[in-house]
Amino acid sequence: MHGVKRVQYSQAALEAKKQRDHDKLKAYLALSDDVIARKKSHDMSNEAFELTTRLLRMNPEFYTVWNYRRDMFIESLFPQRSPSEVNELLSDDLSLTFELLKQHPKVYGIWNHRRWCLEHIPDGPSPDDVNGYRNSTWNKELFVVEKMLDADARNFHAWNYRRYILATMPFPPPPKSELAYTTRKIEANFSNFSAWHQRSKVLTTLWETGELDRVKSIEEEFELVRNAMYTDPDDQSVWIYHAWLIGNGNYAARLQFEITSIQELLDEQPDSKWDKKALVDSCLELLAKLRDIDPPRRRRYDEIAEGIRSGNEMQ
Amino acid sequence: MTSSSQLLIPLHVRYIQSLGEDDLTYHLTAHLRMNAVYWGLTALCIMDHKDALSKDETIEYVMSCWVDEAGAFGPHPDHDPHLLPTLSAIQILVIHDALDRIDVPRVTKFILSLQQPSGVFAGDQFGEIDTRFLYSAVNALSLLDQLHQLDVEKTVSYIKQCKNFDGGFGAVIGAESHAAQVWVCTAALAILDRLDVIDQDTLAWWLAERQLPNGGLNGRPQKLEDVCYSFWVLSSLSVLRKVSWIDADKLTSFILSAQDTENGGIADRPGDLPDVFHTIFGVAGLSLLGYPGLVDIDPVYCMPANLIESKGLRKGWEALPRKAS
Repeated sequence: MHGVKRVQYSQAALEAKKQRDHDKLKAYLALSDDVIARKKSHDMSNEAFELTTRLLRMNPEFYTVWNYRRDMFIESLFPQRSPSEVNELLSDDLSLTFELLKQHPKVYGIWNHRRWCLEHIPDGPSPDDVNGYRNSTWNKELFVVEKMLDADARNFHAWNYRRYILATMPFPPPPKSELAYTTRKIEANFSNFSAWHQRSKVLTTLWETGELDRVKSIEEEFELVRNAMYTDPDDQSVWIYHAWLIGNGNYAARLQFEITSIQELLDEQPDSKWDKKALVDSCLELLAKLRDIDPPRRRRYDEIAEGIRSGNEMQ
Repeated sequence: MTSSSQLLIPLHVRYIQSLGEDDLTYHLTAHLRMNAVYWGLTALCIMDHKDALSKDETIEYVMSCWVDEAGAFGPHPDHDPHLLPTLSAIQILVIHDALDRIDVPRVTKFILSLQQPSGVFAGDQFGEIDTRFLYSAVNALSLLDQLHQLDVEKTVSYIKQCKNFDGGFGAVIGAESHAAQVWVCTAALAILDRLDVIDQDTLAWWLAERQLPNGGLNGRPQKLEDVCYSFWVLSSLSVLRKVSWIDADKLTSFILSAQDTENGGIADRPGDLPDVFHTIFGVAGLSLLGYPGLVDIDPVYCMPANLIESKGLRKGWEALPRKAS
């Protein structure tokens, strides 16, 4: 369990809490025993289905009951029903899971059940429009996942689900529009590492397909990163993204330029022309400073400095 | 209130022994029960109190969760079989030297049947995929001595595709790096002798940056510290031989401050309610940090190190040396 504070109860409050929990437990166990007994006897009735709804509202992490519910859909609720009715049933479960996600945004079982519903949307509404039901559902899903990310921009379940929706949509929006989505999320909050991560994936795709010129694109990314750095120099996300950009560009020239920019930020030394040794000296100086301002990671800085020194001696 | 600058072993042993007394949370987490038994047992082993829970009762519990139609284990009697409780069941039986209770060919068949064409594993026939399941499959097969049946290339190629711009790994291809997923991918690669897949300096840096000013570790940038990351992050660093890249004293103090000094157990952070999940990972973290009086833990398997070594499964990881006192 995460984030549940220990509370000191008075004797009276403790007794009252114990009684409430005892009553809740009795009710829960009665329902749970009933559902499991029905599952074992292969009860596929509407009554059993309603009981799984009640139980899942109490405990959406009970994956065995989601399994039972899905079996009931396949074995008894879907057969003999028209595509429109099946679509309706699945819509209802999508609504149920959305309701549960608002209270339990990180429960794997709920997100899984959504995917299962999506995968079982029937062809329709007509032979000329076999993807109609799917299109309409998928469009709604994009809206649902945006709502979830507005509530918690770091919810990785929601980001993973977003990527799944985009990858499986009958008519997906172009990658550039996803790039714009990451720009919006980043500009709303520069410390949104999840958005920077998504951006790294979308850009890689756009570079690989040639839709964006890599060199020009990286220049623009450095601009974006610079804005973020000046807004919040302590933000980790930006520096990690920055390190990745460095690795992707023309290393020596960029590194030179970047060290100059960083020096400006630290207000350490005036601009000057760099030769290779000056670059090494500057690195060692920066590492010594890092040791002072970031003591927990001093062993790492020592190792890097050692590497630079021994590399330099070998020249 | 006793001091929390020490690990209160007898208190935590009693805490683990008392788990299961009738409370709502206990019953609401029946879907995790097999995992919880493995967490409790492993914590006892690391605290050198393996016999604090009855071996026979534990084995009987494990076997009561066997689902014969599937050739696998569920987390609790009458719950559906799944890869996660199947791994925990195997781990418990290995710790109790009772692997002979398992139908190895049938369990192997169940595990292998869950591998997808992409190389990742599903958790059950409903198809959820996650690198956690990939790790569970690799770990289980290796404990059952059935790793030779695995398509290693296919498995490794999926992990490769999960590698992110920061050197880390996520739950699926495209997913953000998260310390727990980093651990499962790193440990799986260690078992398969494919650590070459990892950008080790980059990943070790990302892992080192999980340490916060309060000494605790988080799981991703800008998230809160949490004791369980003492294991996920630290064990990954052990495999990469870079445990020295975090401040051991500060982390030790943080873990100790998250103990419940009245009722026992360790919580996710100071002042919160303890649970057996954070208890094992806090104790495991302390063991990797060389805390005196604890037993060595293998960071790849999260099981007693000498046991893994005796099975010939030890890989090239490094923890901090055990302090005398």
